[in-house]
Amino acid sequence: MRGGLPARLARVAQMLARLPGVGEKTAQRYALFFATTADEATARELGTELVTLREHVRPCERCNHIAEVGEDGRARCAICLDTRRDGTLLCIVARVQDLLAIERSGAMRGRYFVLGRLLSPLEGVGAEDLPLEALRSRLQDPGEPIREVLVATPPSVDGEATALLLAREMGAMGIQVSRIASGVPHGGDLEFADQVTLGRAIEGRKSFG
Amino acid sequence: MSASPIALSLTTPQAPGGPGGATPPSLLLERLLVRGVRNVAHADVQPAPRVNVIWGNNGHGKTSLLEAIYFAATSRSFRAHRMGELVQHGEKVASVRARFVERWGDLPPLAREQVASIEGRRCAVLIDGNRPPSLASFATRSPVVAFHPNELSLTTGPASGRRTLLDRLALFMDPRSADHRARYDRALRARHEVLRRAERAEAVGDAEIEAFEELCAVHGAAVTRARAAAVTALGPELEHAFAHIAAPGLSLSARYAPGGSADVQAAREALAGQRRRDAHRPSAGFGPHRDDLELSIDGHPVRVVASQGQHRALTLALKAAETATIRAARGVEPILLLDDVSSELDPDRTEALLTFLGTARGQVFLTTTRRELIVTPGVDAADRRDFRVQDGAVTPLSPGERP
Ligand SMILES: [Zn+2]
Repeated sequence: MRGGLPARLARVAQMLARLPGVGEKTAQRYALFFATTADEATARELGTELVTLREHVRPCERCNHIAEVGEDGRARCAICLDTRRDGTLLCIVARVQDLLAIERSGAMRGRYFVLGRLLSPLEGVGAEDLPLEALRSRLQDPGEPIREVLVATPPSVDGEATALLLAREMGAMGIQVSRIASGVPHGGDLEFADQVTLGRAIEGRKSFG
Repeated sequence: MSASPIALSLTTPQAPGGPGGATPPSLLLERLLVRGVRNVAHADVQPAPRVNVIWGNNGHGKTSLLEAIYFAATSRSFRAHRMGELVQHGEKVASVRARFVERWGDLPPLAREQVASIEGRRCAVLIDGNRPPSLASFATRSPVVAFHPNELSLTTGPASGRRTLLDRLALFMDPRSADHRARYDRALRARHEVLRRAERAEAVGDAEIEAFEELCAVHGAAVTRARAAAVTALGPELEHAFAHIAAPGLSLSARYAPGGSADVQAAREALAGQRRRDAHRPSAGFGPHRDDLELSIDGHPVRVVASQGQHRALTLALKAAETATIRAARGVEPILLLDDVSSELDPDRTEALLTFLGTARGQVFLTTTRRELIVTPGVDAADRRDFRVQDGAVTPLSPGERP
């Protein structure tokens, strides 16, 4: 028993508390909900969905965006498959959430590449931890040659350093590189920048590198 | 020791152009609600427009009350190393709600409510219920200048104290300077970490070092420019204040000794040239983290030549100059917070303090263990209020009330 709760319930609450944005109190509320209010099917369905989620949804093999696994067992996202998009323009973002925020602004008509993390020596993340090899082969993909890259990492120190690193890498490959224009709040998350600001930042991008 | 009363030669500023009566200072703290700040569990304070005497024995919460005002005005503390120290023992949240009133010439006064709170490690601030665009913009809305016993190390102690002084001023002159400083600091530490890894023969590409070095150069140059501007503004005020407070015969000069460069290209080259050496020392040998404000009297460093009394006068002059510089940059009279005036009772020291206070034109809050010694002949009874602080409880005293 922990805080008067049966151990099993406390365990579920602890597991739920690992989810992003879920605090201890909320986790306990969810756990109690499954144990009492919810009918059995709700818990079973959720459990089954969670177990099989990974079989059906995985990072896109071209861009790391979240993708549905096709009949052939390959994961390719809707953006990579969309033939109406400008295949010569690639937007590099740190996280899937940033990609979604830029998509909401409607200002990006090209494709994406999700890094998954930023250069951050103070947190032990070095250049070798970034998917630079995958990015290089994506850029040199003979099926879809990239001419322009927009680096849309967040305007934090780590985001700027990552952008500088990428610019140097790609400048050497003869690709035109531009950086998302400032206007996004400094230190702020792209996720929380409003759509107008983000749209302007993409349209007002500056070439650098 | 029989101490004589400290007669504060404060006068209420007259309205310009005649006998129209007194004008209150342009920035006033009108009301303060404190919850759970150190040992002050709850306080509701309505200060007087001119002088507020916070009286009580040591350890009962006098300084905490000043700290609460400082926190509501700046989101920071003048004595805590970690902001979590402000939270009362056994509580989760510390919060301060302050109502400030600002006057712009003849226009009707404008009131605003500033809230600052700490929960765990998180600090949140609001102005009239809204989140300000940045902490820097919050901290410059209602300027306060604090003077507390620790600041006696300002002239003799490490350069970091003087850098902090310059950064406080820079904030009022260019709010973006705080952002550059935070970025410089992080980029510098990141570069150092990358250099150390490279020294341990780990595979670190030049591109990674260069990326952080570039940010060090760009933000470091911005910090250097902001501090240079702060010294340019502070210098004349400081020389003037020192002549007034210490001795008119002595000439004091303040010089910015930059550790870096205002020129980005020069900074780039300097950093690139020192990689190997920097990897082996605690921090980089070049950059504004090595800045100092060099103070000298008649051409000699104050550290060497100044007497204890002169150090004291110089510290007060620095505070007077800080106040004047903020007044000029922000256009309002900063609120003055003086901690532990009782320590000034030594007659030699009192005179410098009195001269300093004579320059104060704004609202003043001071703490003391000896309330009876604070007399304010030039201040109307309605413009002064005394508060007693005992076991964290704050009680206003009526004007004639004797301790
Ligand atoms: Zn994809």
